Amino acid sequence: MSHEPPIRVEDLTLEYRVPHHRANSLKEAMVRIARRGIAYDLLRAVDGVSFHVDQGEVMGIVGPNGAGKSTLMKVIARVLPPTAGRVRVRGRVSPMIELGAGFNAEQTGRENVILYGALLGRDANHMKSRCAAIAEWAGLTDYLDVPIRAYSSGMVARLAFSVAVDVEPSVLLIDEILAVGDASFQMKSSERMTELIGAGASVVLVSHQLQQIVDRCDRVMWLEHGVLKALGRPQEVVAAYAEAVGVPWDLHEEEAGPPETDLTPGATGA
Amino acid sequence: MSGLVRAQQQNRDTDSVSLYDSAVRRAPLRGALVDLYRYRALVRLLVARDMTVRYKRSLLGVTWTVLNPLLITLVMWGVFEHLFHSSIPGHIPYIVYILAGNLVVTYFQQGVNMTAASIASSAGMLTKVYVPPVIFAFSAAASGAVNFVYGLVPLVVIQLSTGTGVAPTFVLVPVPLLFFLLMIAGIGFFLATYAIRYDDVLNLIGVVMVLVAYITPTFYPVTIVPAQFRRFFYLDPVFPYVETFRYLEYGGPRPSWVAAAYILVSGLVGFAVGLRVFVRRWPSLAVLM
Repeated sequence: MSHEPPIRVEDLTLEYRVPHHRANSLKEAMVRIARRGIAYDLLRAVDGVSFHVDQGEVMGIVGPNGAGKSTLMKVIARVLPPTAGRVRVRGRVSPMIELGAGFNAEQTGRENVILYGALLGRDANHMKSRCAAIAEWAGLTDYLDVPIRAYSSGMVARLAFSVAVDVEPSVLLIDEILAVGDASFQMKSSERMTELIGAGASVVLVSHQLQQIVDRCDRVMWLEHGVLKALGRPQEVVAAYAEAVGVPWDLHEEEAGPPETDLTPGATGA
Repeated sequence: MSGLVRAQQQNRDTDSVSLYDSAVRRAPLRGALVDLYRYRALVRLLVARDMTVRYKRSLLGVTWTVLNPLLITLVMWGVFEHLFHSSIPGHIPYIVYILAGNLVVTYFQQGVNMTAASIASSAGMLTKVYVPPVIFAFSAAASGAVNFVYGLVPLVVIQLSTGTGVAPTFVLVPVPLLFFLLMIAGIGFFLATYAIRYDDVLNLIGVVMVLVAYITPTFYPVTIVPAQFRRFFYLDPVFPYVETFRYLEYGGPRPSWVAAAYILVSGLVGFAVGLRVFVRRWPSLAVLM
């Protein structure tokens, strides 16, 4: 196995083209073109960002709304092609972004599990054989053959989470979703996450809960206006970020070193 | 992980997500064809989902696929029977003539529309998980083909009950159907690149589809058009298919070699061009989703 890290992002830039005036219809666009061209603004959501994530490492991302965190996640998830720069991702990617967004209300839990698994690159027959185990893990055995329409939103998220972790991902992209389901399910999912990291999965975690970032991450990056402002030890980066945005932040844990080292072997600081 | 386990795991998987490098430029057409083959199981699941979703909450379920063209045919039959029934080529029962034509036009209308709309309507998934977007578009076109096959059931029943019989060439229907699917997918891919950007493209497609439905001889015989103008029927993308399906299904007039050549070329070239345009434009469209 090569020593190349599972995620390597080099000088990544992503630009959205935003028309000056919204031309949402072809008719409008024609009128504009006839009057000499549509003027675009280039919105640079991610601007020259470079970093890598090692095997078994948890990378946190902090930053205000609109800093480019979610866009960066989408580029790593291969959903958005980079405008410039290079992204390399090795391993099975499980994006845990708005869990259950792709679920279909008319189809049963089982049908959705198989389709979601196929979207994540799993063979349909393999998923069929895993359905029962996935439903049991989610605590939804009785609901497996019921249309998703009848599920509560917490149940949908639980089922989606169970599929996302069942495909044995080696790269996890987590956008504010560690709090899925009720208290006991949260504990279970947190344990499963730790298990996956222990098995060598790499994680990118976006969160506004700074304590969670410090508790969970090996390194943290601070994004602002698409630019990488800082990258390093969780306590230091989070403290600097908290100060900049005027959030009170306690520094008394500074001497503790990287937290949860027992759960993330091989983790290093900056 | 040992090499063996890795190899086995890759074998079991349907995709290449295990290695993504944004710097690798793939040949657009060949890359998309490889994707379609690789994700064929997903295509099947998406088609099955289309079927469930469209009919689950209706009283008659999947029978609507069969009933819909049948009811339209009945309306046309009632309205135009006295006008045209005696002039249908080969003295085929008028209702058979209409239904055979309607099935083709309906697939064209639904298929192009759904394929063009497919990317926008699967944005929920496309913006979260990496799947080549062309998979969703092709699945929409394939769903229409499944509907077409369901529609053949009442056609056969009516052919048998009216004494028209079923031509032995019926077994060849899948051949033009395959090319029809390819052409519809290609047109849909091309239009999808505009439908993502502009909201009114789908409305525009709807208008063009009405035009196609009228210029195609579904409920009227070709002979109502003076002979010297009949070649203009070949401007209608659906006409050669209608002629060919009628020939294969109940032994309608044998289409000219032009129709056969058109089917071959429209299927292969239409698909290749549409696919290529779609794949090349996708990077600039993805950021709009």
